[in-house]
Amino acid sequence: MSTSSVATIKLFGMLKTLVPGGELSLDFPQGCKVRDFIEMLRPRWPEVAELVVQKKVLVSVNQEIAHWDTEISNTDEIALLPPFAGGSLGKV
Amino acid sequence: MAVETEEVLLVRVQQENFSVDEEIDRVRSRSTRIGGLNIFLGTARDRSKGRDVSSMTFEHYEGMAQRKLREIRERALKDFDVIEVLILHRYGPIEIGENIVLIVVGAEHRADAFKACRWCIDELKKITPIWKSEHTPDGEVWVEEHP
Repeated sequence: MSTSSVATIKLFGMLKTLVPGGELSLDFPQGCKVRDFIEMLRPRWPEVAELVVQKKVLVSVNQEIAHWDTEISNTDEIALLPPFAGGSLGKV
Repeated sequence: MAVETEEVLLVRVQQENFSVDEEIDRVRSRSTRIGGLNIFLGTARDRSKGRDVSSMTFEHYEGMAQRKLREIRERALKDFDVIEVLILHRYGPIEIGENIVLIVVGAEHRADAFKACRWCIDELKKITPIWKSEHTPDGEVWVEEHP
């Protein structure tokens, strides 16, 4: 629906240097999954999308690490997490 | 109520510096059964990957960082034979030589305190959404990992 508010995606660390303004706004259609979200990123922020595909950047939904099939909506708290200061991210 | 307040103080992400002595006392006062404390204190160093570092800034994901630290404390209390665990991490600008992170583990015996403390700091570095940028002569560098 055109009346739905858009989701603001939180960005951290070096991601803020890749995205002017330091945050992303997207309107997720109903039933949208993380894999769709990545494709929505690709046209405008291909570098960010590629980092997520390579699992160098993780997606969190409501403060939990999400998977490709995790559903997301505009009301979820979504963030992109680059590698943490302390070490590798391990397996997703 | 006082107990709940004390629990909150045992896991903190804060901007201001902390007193290591006060935090050690906070743990040792939790039980007279504690016979040994193991402490890990991470401090800001002036060299990283061959570059001089003049200062650094830590950024954290508010809410998720605290949750992950609470999770680490709870798992340490469950999986190791220890009595109390305190975990603190600072964020914001930090000068060289200042405190960054503190783990204090109290146990009856030293072996468990050592093991749990090592596990806590390793786990913290793996799963806690905290990022560091170092200020170097070449500019600001986001650090992806360190041993």
